[in-house]
Amino acid sequence: MKSGIKTLVLVLMILLISTALFAGGQSEEGVKPIKLGGVWPLADITGEQGSKSAQLAVDEINAAGGLLGRPVELIVIDSEFKPEKGAAAIDRLATIENVDVFLGGMSSGVHLGQIPTLKKYKKVTVWTGAASGRAEEAMGPDAAWYFHLHPWDYNQGASYVEGWEAIGAKYPDLATAKWFMAYEEGAFGTASFNNWVELWGDNGIVEGESFTSAAFGGGDYSAVLEHAKEANPDIFVWAGYAADALPMMEQTKAVGFEPKTYIGSPPGWPSDFGDSPLAENVMFYGMWTPEMNKINKISKHYYDAYVKKYKATPETYFAPLGYTAVYIIAEAIKRAGTVETEALIKALEATAYESPLGETITFGPSNIIQHQGIRRQKIIQWQNDKQEIIWPFEYKTSDPVYPFPSWNKR
Amino acid sequence: MAERILKRPLYIIVGLLSAAVIVLLLFWKPTVVVYGVQRAGLYAGIALPMALILGIVHIVNLAHGEFMITAAYITYFLCNSFGMSPFAALVPVVIVMFLLGMLIFKFTIKHTLKAPELNQLILTFGLAMVLTQGLNLIATSQPRKISLDFVTSSATVGETTFGTYGFIYDLAAVLILAGLLFFLRKTKFGKAAVAVGQNPRGARIIGIDVNKIYILVFSLAIALTGIMGVLFLTSQSIFPLAGGSYTMKSFCLVAMAGMGSLPGIVFASIGLGIAESFIMSFQGYGGWSNIVFFALIIIVILIKSFKGKR
Repeated sequence: MKSGIKTLVLVLMILLISTALFAGGQSEEGVKPIKLGGVWPLADITGEQGSKSAQLAVDEINAAGGLLGRPVELIVIDSEFKPEKGAAAIDRLATIENVDVFLGGMSSGVHLGQIPTLKKYKKVTVWTGAASGRAEEAMGPDAAWYFHLHPWDYNQGASYVEGWEAIGAKYPDLATAKWFMAYEEGAFGTASFNNWVELWGDNGIVEGESFTSAAFGGGDYSAVLEHAKEANPDIFVWAGYAADALPMMEQTKAVGFEPKTYIGSPPGWPSDFGDSPLAENVMFYGMWTPEMNKINKISKHYYDAYVKKYKATPETYFAPLGYTAVYIIAEAIKRAGTVETEALIKALEATAYESPLGETITFGPSNIIQHQGIRRQKIIQWQNDKQEIIWPFEYKTSDPVYPFPSWNKR
Repeated sequence: MAERILKRPLYIIVGLLSAAVIVLLLFWKPTVVVYGVQRAGLYAGIALPMALILGIVHIVNLAHGEFMITAAYITYFLCNSFGMSPFAALVPVVIVMFLLGMLIFKFTIKHTLKAPELNQLILTFGLAMVLTQGLNLIATSQPRKISLDFVTSSATVGETTFGTYGFIYDLAAVLILAGLLFFLRKTKFGKAAVAVGQNPRGARIIGIDVNKIYILVFSLAIALTGIMGVLFLTSQSIFPLAGGSYTMKSFCLVAMAGMGSLPGIVFASIGLGIAESFIMSFQGYGGWSNIVFFALIIIVILIKSFKGKR
């Protein structure tokens, strides 16, 4: 009897072990996913929506059968807007998660902290954030595995000049000769102003003054706005952060300053900015707005899928940028037939992806790096709570409204 | 107090000179005075509760600005969820902040009252971190702002147009100061609080419940930061880290005015507010305003310590 029980236990154990081994073998050979490792600042709307959009693209790809017969898995780590956390995230994705490709990103400061770690692993990287030329210098010309989507600061500056010259030519009444820029006193604002003076100085009079951003304990713009009012510019532009947006508008109205054209240039807007009547006809720069749906079917597909999945609307261009990054990687993996680095780099170099941002994205050399994607920003204007694209004209969804309406006529 | 001032010719000279400077500025750069006084109201309104805590409980509250921002977030939540006006939210916010102050005092600060000052500083610094990170987790780092039409109110005098809403901070600061002075000088509880602030051991000997005074004064101060939090939300964007700089400025004002001196806070705020506004009125020199703020504080503290040695 006892030997019968022993035999039974032995048979059961053999069965269990062989089942586990068989299942494990299947997992290793058959359904091992292709892993994408993303890093975003998840507490910020750019990171939250960028990562959600990337997941949306992964879900769509898996629903269509995956890549190379394998499912795709997105592993997201929060950078918390901190360079050291961003770098640690890359380390974890490379060593513990063993991802095939890095993607994501927002903030030049965080990216500067990540670049030495990215260089250590030399995995294919498709990056959606970081505009600072300092990040490009830090990456250097030798990183063939590095594909950068977001325009560099000098790309953006050049596109603004191109855009305003085109707008000035098409709408001669919209004067662009005299500019006043209020800029936050940190690296972002100062670089924006210096770039602007360098790029625009020959074409018009550029005046400017710094202010302490609300993000750093400021929030009183009255003196700067009074100086801008005295300068009586054709175009007033402020370069600060989202925290400055509404207080800046409110104080502009309070001091009775009514510029002919009003531009705000924060990296992201507060989610409820458009609800304020003060937002009406403010212009700004960006790569995408929901109004793109009117002219671009990929944008429409993306927007509807995002709303269906998350019951919320994408509010920042970093959202479709995350979606775009995943599809660019996916198409390259299909072309390469492998996730092996050299083959994937070659396949990415052949990218011509029709994106929800409007552009067909291709990669080519920029000032330093080998693979730069997007090079232009768009000029956009708040009109009736919608973000209408004014320029480039091929993506135009509305004509510009000018001059900026009087505060009392809103 | 008036007699004390009249006996000190230096006070009279400084007072007359200040008045002359303000009159001169009103003709030369009127908006310097307008915005300087508005700024002073904000600084004083935030610093007064800190001075109250320092003067009576003898704690430097490094979570002061964070309490203000917590109140601003509660207001934002009430306005957004229930459609309340920020001013209607004032009453529930002040009550919630008072209770929060009681809870925090009872469970944390009370246990460090006899500990070395460094422990108290570390505790309140820790509280600041907990509040900031808590807000970050609940509300994210995304800036929030309620769009209100009345904050854009303005007035035009001659050719000068200026915003007038900032005077609400002056009104709040004056009411807080008057209320606190009345409370401390005219009420039995307030007099007991002053006695505790001057000599806690002596107060205990004569039968004052020192612990009760501490908890109520601390909670009252946190409730007053709640008022400033509500007003702050009406004109500024809020985000979890927004309070830190106001903790620092409040502490500097308290140090400049003399530890626990409430009227001194108001005078120091007016001086610094106008000085900052004056610097900012020169195009391109706005960045110097913070340097002037801290330089003035260093000078005043040095003069005070020099006089103290004599």
